[in-house]
Amino acid sequence: MEPEADRPHDLARESSPDYAPDGVDLTLIRWMLSLTPSERLQVLQDHVNAVEKSRANRAPWSSAQS
Amino acid sequence: MEFRAILIALERGRVDYVVVGGVAAVLQGVPVNTFDLDVVHSRDPGNLTRLAAVLRALEACYREHLPKRIEPLERDLALPGHHLPMTRLGPLDVLGTIFGAKGYAQLVDHAPRVDLNDGLVVRLLELADLVAIKRLLNRDKDRAQLHEYERELELRNAMETRDGR
Repeated sequence: MEPEADRPHDLARESSPDYAPDGVDLTLIRWMLSLTPSERLQVLQDHVNAVEKSRANRAPWSSAQS
Repeated sequence: MEFRAILIALERGRVDYVVVGGVAAVLQGVPVNTFDLDVVHSRDPGNLTRLAAVLRALEACYREHLPKRIEPLERDLALPGHHLPMTRLGPLDVLGTIFGAKGYAQLVDHAPRVDLNDGLVVRLLELADLVAIKRLLNRDKDRAQLHEYERELELRNAMETRDGR
């Protein structure tokens, strides 16, 4: 019997796992692939905006500790 | 950081370029984050003039020299190296060549156009090429993201095979 690690994983099958053997979250990839390129760009923009907002709102004491 | 606004500025300025790096990966479905936009530009003289004009309009100056303001000049953009300016819309990495000394002319045939709506169409380096470059670079930051890139490519290929594309 073929060892689990050597088997090609059929990631597209209906019952495909949530995680690849290397730990990659396949549900995120499937979700991203369900979006249009324009929507993917907006997802990235929203992430960056959230991080920039978080940085801007950071209390002075926390930046001194980081 | 305003990804779309920078891309619109490049398009309106009729700059020939290929989007590479993290944004190219995200636009093809890889769930990673990035905080800058990487492009490889054509180093044809006319394009350098147009690119320099767009960079001036975006108030670009080299990040490594901030707060001193040193603007990328047209003659500098003709070189094969990397230019890492900050613009008023965010960091924009302008690359004369990428790994293996590949410039725009070598990449453009591997860079399909992608529609980002509202008339914005950009060229992206194919994910398979992004993966190949990351494997060759083999830096810590590349290895950290390579699994996401590879699984996305694998999953997309599997879906296309299943759907008969």
